[in-house]
Amino acid sequence: MKKKTLALLLALVMALSLLAGCGGDSNTPSTPDTPPAETQTPDTPDTPPAEPEAPAEPTAPGGDLPRNETLYFGGQQWGEVNSWNPVGANQNNAMAIASSAAGSRTVMFETLYMYNFLTGEMVPLLADGDYSWNAEKTELTVKINPAAKWSDGAAVTANDVKRTFDVGLEIGNPSTFHPYISEIAVTSDTELVIKANLDNLNPFMLEDFLSGQYIAQAAWIDTCLARNNNDAQGFLNDKGEDAPYTGPYGPYYSDDQKVVFVRNDSYWGQDASMWGKLPIPKYIAHTIYADNAASEVAFKAGEIDVNQQFIPNIQDLWEKDGLPISTFYDHAPYGVCATMPTAWFNMNMPVIAENPALRKAIAIAVDYDQIIANAMTNQSPSFSEVPRSVMNPTAGEQALYDHDAVKDLQWAGNDVEGAKALLDEAGIVDNDGDGWREWNGEKISLQAVCPQGWTDWNASMEIVAAAGQNIGVDITTYFPPADTYYPTVLTSPTQTEGAIFMWSPPAAAPSSPWARVNALMGKDYVGMENNWSGNFGQYVNDEADALIKKIPTMTDEAEIKAAYTELTRIYLTDVPSFSLMYRPDKFHSVNESVWTNFPNESNGIPPLDCTDGYGIAALYELELA
Amino acid sequence: MKNLLRDIRRSPRFMTGFLIFLFILLVSILYPLLSPGDPLAMIGRGTFAAPGTYVSLYDATSAKTETLLLPDADDKRLAAAMSDADRAAMINYFTLSGVAIDDLDPQDTDRMIELWQEIFDENNMPKMTNAQRRDFRNLDKRLKELQASDTLYVMDMGEDGEYEQRGSVSKTDYVNASAVANAKTLLLGTDNFGRDTLRELIYATGTSLLVGLVAGIVATLIGLSLGLLAGYMGGIADDVIMFVTNLFTVIPGFVLLILISSSVSQDMRGPSLVAVIIGLTSWPWTTRSVRAQVVSLRNRDHVNLSKLSGHSMLRIVLSDILPYVASYVVMAFILQVSSGILAEAQLSMLGLGPKTTTTPTLGLMMNWAMLYSAHTNGSWWAYFPVILTITLISFSLNLMNTGLDQVFNPTLRD
Repeated sequence: MKKKTLALLLALVMALSLLAGCGGDSNTPSTPDTPPAETQTPDTPDTPPAEPEAPAEPTAPGGDLPRNETLYFGGQQWGEVNSWNPVGANQNNAMAIASSAAGSRTVMFETLYMYNFLTGEMVPLLADGDYSWNAEKTELTVKINPAAKWSDGAAVTANDVKRTFDVGLEIGNPSTFHPYISEIAVTSDTELVIKANLDNLNPFMLEDFLSGQYIAQAAWIDTCLARNNNDAQGFLNDKGEDAPYTGPYGPYYSDDQKVVFVRNDSYWGQDASMWGKLPIPKYIAHTIYADNAASEVAFKAGEIDVNQQFIPNIQDLWEKDGLPISTFYDHAPYGVCATMPTAWFNMNMPVIAENPALRKAIAIAVDYDQIIANAMTNQSPSFSEVPRSVMNPTAGEQALYDHDAVKDLQWAGNDVEGAKALLDEAGIVDNDGDGWREWNGEKISLQAVCPQGWTDWNASMEIVAAAGQNIGVDITTYFPPADTYYPTVLTSPTQTEGAIFMWSPPAAAPSSPWARVNALMGKDYVGMENNWSGNFGQYVNDEADALIKKIPTMTDEAEIKAAYTELTRIYLTDVPSFSLMYRPDKFHSVNESVWTNFPNESNGIPPLDCTDGYGIAALYELELA
Repeated sequence: MKNLLRDIRRSPRFMTGFLIFLFILLVSILYPLLSPGDPLAMIGRGTFAAPGTYVSLYDATSAKTETLLLPDADDKRLAAAMSDADRAAMINYFTLSGVAIDDLDPQDTDRMIELWQEIFDENNMPKMTNAQRRDFRNLDKRLKELQASDTLYVMDMGEDGEYEQRGSVSKTDYVNASAVANAKTLLLGTDNFGRDTLRELIYATGTSLLVGLVAGIVATLIGLSLGLLAGYMGGIADDVIMFVTNLFTVIPGFVLLILISSSVSQDMRGPSLVAVIIGLTSWPWTTRSVRAQVVSLRNRDHVNLSKLSGHSMLRIVLSDILPYVASYVVMAFILQVSSGILAEAQLSMLGLGPKTTTTPTLGLMMNWAMLYSAHTNGSWWAYFPVILTITLISFSLNLMNTGLDQVFNPTLRD
């Protein structure tokens, strides 16, 4: 009896392990012959459903949206929206609240100007006409468009701008602009003067303010402060669901599956002084997908119209799969590259800080063509096409430094012999014969870090690590989750976790390339807690810093060019960081099965997700395919 | 013993599994010996080159040519540049442009191309989507290439900047693939890093087998000794051991595995350490089953006799009990190896496997293939062989296991 139980138990254990072991064993007892459950689907024709006609009943929030009135986005929102507060903190509301000087997303909240990085122009949004500088470039006068209205009907006034700016100081949460602006003076309801901080004079940052600062309503700020008893944290974390907005879309529905905005049909921008009409789609929606792969599948199926997501080998989508998908350019690099993801050296680690030769050796040994061909699948120009400097590949920036003067310093990569020679010369050699070089008697062991799942970056770090293997420097990769990466590596001024780690310097903004140079080598960021702005590797070079401080006050073009050339020379000699590829500010690919006439080479609208900076003009040009 | 081995050899199930496993094992040992080299070398620029033989175009221009007059060469050339879908697209374009095409036969290539050249204007296309415009421009380019002359010339730019003709290629020139100085056969193409997938796969299989073996040994050793102790000693020792075992049983093993792996820094995480970690988290079920068997054995007459003869506990366990559970332990070991290989693959897919730059593993190969959308862009060679290998290893081990079971377990005999 006992034996039988034992046998049974054993058999059970075996059966279970077999199942767990995923083996396709023929001996597994087959299940009784039940007929396969018949699918009781009604006979639907195989043709796709006809385009939904205008719904007879109004669409309910959360219900199905009429496809030919809805523009679906992808690659922005990855979790349930947590806030609608335009001046709050810790928002994840990517479709509504994403401000940056290079292009703020003005779907719901608006800025004074929109930046067009294709032309370098500032296009008025809440502002009326061009802004004007005084002779010394210390005061900037902006007029407010008298037509501009809040969603509650009130007019936008100069005081709203002032209040938005002031409240940051008041509650102890200064923005990046506060160090550069001493005061915003209201001269009338529709005119204001932004006064520069004369101790920290930087006209670039004043211009960045124009395109990078959302304007919130002064009255609402007071209401919000009052209901939080003037508590700063309470105010910053206020969900702000009642915040009035000036933009063309307002909240419609949001849950953990999707977020939907509906057009505000009384949007002020239909005034002839602005767009002269309403944006075309009635709804804009973003389904929340589990990951990149799910989002990519939805994009291919036409469930996403505008996709801000890196898709490897994007040309396969039309060349192989024949899908109605297009990009800004028909040919590589398919997008407009405006920034360069960069590998930063961590100067907190003595082996890196004290050995410029090691930094340069790693940088010249990396096979960038491989990164661009494999990690970026050629969606970036190569470093032989656009030699490395502190500039992005746009023509405007490339003209700002003397190419010949730094020619000998630029490298295209994959120079393993050169790198070995540099290390040998610096005395960083392999003494104990284990194949790895040592410094001060210790094997050099470096970790190359970037967030997990950021495909192109992960692949780049692998290629950097492979370069290390080639020159006898032990580099291993480590991909922690992004939430771990930010506090322990990127924004921590004292970390020693990542020897080489990745982030991008600013893309094209009114203040570029100055802002980028400052982010690459500016001393102000050294030691800064929770630093999201720049110089993540804590590099200090007083000569470079002095030049960076001086450039904003320079007016002579030759002088500016000389300064940028000198900064490029320092950057390429000292190698505090090295760019791995060029990359668009926003990835832009569109599925034209429902909508068409998206930004492309011929219509002059920048490919910024149809929502950012002047890129939002695309919403007024869309047509049904 | 002899009889037992004969029985095992006669078990078709065991032998099938064994041969598959042996084949995989031999390949993973012999291939690196016969063809040494870095499995992670990125030989390809670009991602996912399809399986096939790659012939150097540069060398081909200087290789000896043969003239072959193949009757269907022109048709094939035409089909490659102008598919039926392209013809349909052209018809569509004509319609959009408002051209009367009632009597136009889509298969009438000459007419189609003639009309296309007449109608198509890159700068003045009818209203359509950007994607369509682009596709028509690409089609136009292909059709223009079709019109190229019969002979193409290979030029070299000399030092003086003048082009000098080095050779010519005509439509009827063919080169024997073996006559080209450089040709490379990539049976499984390349992966997203441009690595030779086949080479990587074989090395990764070796790593996985090693991980499985070490994990199996560790898990079986722990499981066996604890099971023997608990089963034979009984009482407090049994209670304590079973308490610990039950604790481990209720904690999902994989969660434990993830926690331990992520707490070990990546620097330390070599294949053998990962194997030990897997072994340390997968022993409980072996303990439970061994204990259950031992409990039923411990009151057998021969065990009692040994006790009465004053043999030490160690001797009784090793010589009177272990032989009776040995057959079971061998089978359990095989299953542990199999699950160890799967656990490594799962861990690597999560990025918690052996450190990534030095060792290829099956899980990592799948991880990268997935990140670069190999499963959606049709690059089956980057992931399917990996899945097949894992399946074959598991399948062969499980087949060996059930084969042994039939031999050892009298109730299952035919």
